[in-house]
Amino acid sequence: MKLTAPLERVLRVLVADPAAPHYGYDLMKAARLPSGTLYPMLARLQQEGLVDSQWEDQRPDAGGRPPRKYYRLTAEGARVARLELARAATTAGGTRHVAAWPVPGAQGSTL
Amino acid sequence: MSGALLSVQRIGERMIRGSCRRFPADVAADRYREWSAELSAILDDASLRSPFLRALRALAFCAGIARTTRQLSRPARAGARSGKNGQWRTGAPRTRPASMAVRVAVGLAAWLAVAGLVIAMTRLTAGPHPDVWPLLLVVPLGIGFDAYCLRDIVRAADVRYLRKWAWALVCLAQMPLGGILYLAIGRIDPAQPAPPGTPS
Repeated sequence: MKLTAPLERVLRVLVADPAAPHYGYDLMKAARLPSGTLYPMLARLQQEGLVDSQWEDQRPDAGGRPPRKYYRLTAEGARVARLELARAATTAGGTRHVAAWPVPGAQGSTL
Repeated sequence: MSGALLSVQRIGERMIRGSCRRFPADVAADRYREWSAELSAILDDASLRSPFLRALRALAFCAGIARTTRQLSRPARAGARSGKNGQWRTGAPRTRPASMAVRVAVGLAAWLAVAGLVIAMTRLTAGPHPDVWPLLLVVPLGIGFDAYCLRDIVRAADVRYLRKWAWALVCLAQMPLGGILYLAIGRIDPAQPAPPGTPS
C-alpha cells in the first residue's frame, strides 16, 4: 500500500476514532476530499480487508431518512494504518507537510 | 427541505442511478442506497446555512460518484476484455495506429473531397458564388468533428448520463454543439490517470 496524501488524511480520520461509525459524507468533510477520491479509496481499502462497512440501524428519530452506510477500520486495518502513519511521520519531507493539515479529532492522536 | 432542494435531490438521485448502472445489479442496488442516503444527508447538512451551497455540494458529490463508478468498474471491464486490445468494445484486434503522415494525407484528401462537393453544390444551387471559401473551411471541419465524435461514441466502452444512441443523436442533431457537449460531459476518458491512493 502506497501512502498518498489523500489516503493519509483518510487514515488519520479513521485512526483518530477507530470504533466510531464514519459515514461517507462525514469522512469527505473531515479528510477534505471529494467523493470521487474518497469512495474509490474506501472500496480499495475494503477490498484489502483494512476497512469494513455496515448499514446503520434505522433509528426511530430518523424521520423517514434512509439508513446510511458507515465505514470502520478492521483490527488489521487499524494496525496497518498506525504503522503507515508512524512511518510517514518519521520520514522527512514527502507527505510530512500533511501532518499540519487540520483534521478534526486528530489532535489527540499520538501519531 | 425546500422545493428547490427536493428537485436537486431528484436530479442527484438520477445521476447516481445512472452512475450505478456500471455495476452488476446487486452491487448497483447496494451502492445506490448508500449514495442516495449520503446525498440526502448533504442536503440536510445543518452546518451549511445556505441552501445554495448545499445544492452545489450535493451536485459535486454526484459528479464524484460518477468518477468513482468509472474507476471501480474499470478493472472488471478490463478483465472482460482481452489484453492490450481492451480499449475496443468489440475486442477485435487493433491495427497498428497509422503514422502521422498517413493521417494528414487522409485528412487532406477528405477535406478536398468535401470542398469539391461544397463547390459543386453551391454552383448547382446558387450559380457561381464568390463567397464560398468560408464554407470550404467550416463544412469539412464540422463534418470531421462530428465524425470524430461519432467514432468516439461507437468505440467508447461506456458513456456518461445518456445512452450511446442518445449521444449519437445529440451529436448529429446539433452539429457543433452536440459534439462539444458530448466531449465535455458525456465522454469517459480511457486515458485518465489512476486514482490517488492506488495501491502500488
